[in-house]
Amino acid sequence: MIDRRNFLGQAGLVATAAALPAAARAAAPARPDWFAAVGDITADIAPQGLRRVHGRAPAGLDGTLYRNGPARFRLGGTAVGHWFDGDGLIRAWQLRDGQAQLQARFVDTTKRRTDTAAGAMVQPGFNTLARPGAVVTSADDTNAANTSVIVAGGQLLALWEAGSAYALDAQTLATKGPLTFRPDLAGMPFLAHPRIEPDGRIWNLGMGGKMAFIWRLSKDGSFEAGQSIPLPMASYVHDFTATARHLVIVLQPWVQERNALPFVASLEWRPQLGTKVLVIDKADLSKRRVFELPPLFFFHLGDAWEDNDGSIRFDGCFESDPAFARDTASALIDARTVRTDRPVLRLVTLHANGRASVDDAGITAEFPRSDPALAGLRRTRTVHVGGYGPARPFARTIGIWDWQTGRDDAHDFGAHQIVEEFVPAGRWLIGTTINLQAKASELHVMDAARVADGPVVTWRANVALPHSFHGSWLAA
Amino acid sequence: MIRAALYSATVTALFAVATAAVPAPVAAQTAAAAAPATLTIKFDGAMAPTGAVMVALFDSEAAHDKGGAPVRGGMAKVAGTTAELVIPGLKPGRYAIKAYHDINGNGEMDSNPFGMPLEPFAFSNGAKAVGGPPSWADAGFEVAPGAATVTISFR
Repeated sequence: MIDRRNFLGQAGLVATAAALPAAARAAAPARPDWFAAVGDITADIAPQGLRRVHGRAPAGLDGTLYRNGPARFRLGGTAVGHWFDGDGLIRAWQLRDGQAQLQARFVDTTKRRTDTAAGAMVQPGFNTLARPGAVVTSADDTNAANTSVIVAGGQLLALWEAGSAYALDAQTLATKGPLTFRPDLAGMPFLAHPRIEPDGRIWNLGMGGKMAFIWRLSKDGSFEAGQSIPLPMASYVHDFTATARHLVIVLQPWVQERNALPFVASLEWRPQLGTKVLVIDKADLSKRRVFELPPLFFFHLGDAWEDNDGSIRFDGCFESDPAFARDTASALIDARTVRTDRPVLRLVTLHANGRASVDDAGITAEFPRSDPALAGLRRTRTVHVGGYGPARPFARTIGIWDWQTGRDDAHDFGAHQIVEEFVPAGRWLIGTTINLQAKASELHVMDAARVADGPVVTWRANVALPHSFHGSWLAA
Repeated sequence: MIRAALYSATVTALFAVATAAVPAPVAAQTAAAAAPATLTIKFDGAMAPTGAVMVALFDSEAAHDKGGAPVRGGMAKVAGTTAELVIPGLKPGRYAIKAYHDINGNGEMDSNPFGMPLEPFAFSNGAKAVGGPPSWADAGFEVAPGAATVTISFR
């Protein structure tokens, strides 16, 4: 980026700078329009009504879309070093009687308190180094609680991946504190991507190098069972998947090889190791099989299922290496992009004979979701965002890919919109975008049978919230 | 991000040393009469009024930072939110302390399945953990001849 003062100085124009019209001066190095995706929210947002700008709310669609994502990246002249290191802001988009409102509140984490007290972003992170004043007595001291939010046992769980879930009040979004499922499990990591069976039982992982802790919680979020298991390699694991009977842990060749800070510096990309897929029997965690795949990088997988022929299938959004995770997602904070691979939708089949194969949908896609009633069961449809292009690492379309027909029912919101994750809500999809023209976040409902028709209703907030990651729909 | 594996490899490994090295009660060390320095360590801010504070005192950077043995150890029973340990017979010089509060009195620093500490710990000189115990440079303090007192807070 050109430093405006130096640029003018070199050109011998310092004296005339003051005489330039304000517009010309402001026109120097402009931030890209997508910068709103990683902007800062300075305070909680009290409940505010949203303005309906298109269509009408479907009758009877009452409930709340809870979403989570980082929304404070900078403080006191300092900034975090990575998109994943901002403070989690919980947003509640509530629909009732055809009206919509928005409320948002930061998770009151130890990290946020430490940073606030220091007047700077001092706590270390995924790719953020500790600054003077940092205090890290446990992983939870760096827990940004910024990745997802689920509803369990009548409360919200704000999820990160390397520390505890944070419990929040579902109505006020007030933070209750980090959740300890059993005293001896305090501080154990809990991924942001639990797999929830149709009856509500929750499975999750906590990653610790070449070990994973398998969590099993009841529908109401209470502890049922937990156990550590060894892994074939110390892969970076953000997400896993599951069928009705099996846990499926995909181990990519981005492996932890040393103890280093920030965390990303401990990882090396070793494509020669390939990708290993560990399949574990839910009923007996000692029963396991390992499948081999080519080297693949991913953050997110879709729900898995088992076919009659004994094969296990799941889709995911894959890249060829971790360049986005390592480089681009760091550069975004400085309003830069680094050109990286775009995520593509692929279907993995783990055959009964021990072989594994990968099929391409031929579209770019991220944030895969599917019908929660079919979690772990045979399905064909995957909700996803897409339309990734070279200019910015954000989506502009929402679609439902059908693996049976090979067809994508998609809607393009346009280059002026950044599309965030959409989730199924009965026969509808609900999700948010950042409208870069209006400089405002928008809430949309799509008909899941006719996505290409565009939103059936759109509401607009009076604020552009930074890009959120994941969330949950809770029907009223 | 201080992941579990990284964290357990640093903090708990070093606390294992402190735990193993905690010797007989300090009262047994009576060779203090001719000693040039007596160190009183006052602990405050204990989160529970039970158990004891387990203390490891180091007299060198090598032992403190590289997992060596402490020069002295001790155990101080917690009353309310405080505890006190007196270590007589010390050679004046530079020292550093690692301590943990054995709340349930089982003689161990309890940890979760990934080896992360479940009981409170603290260091001398107000030094704070940043993904592992502080260094000798941050936790060190001088003990002069005569009576010396340091305070360590679990807050």
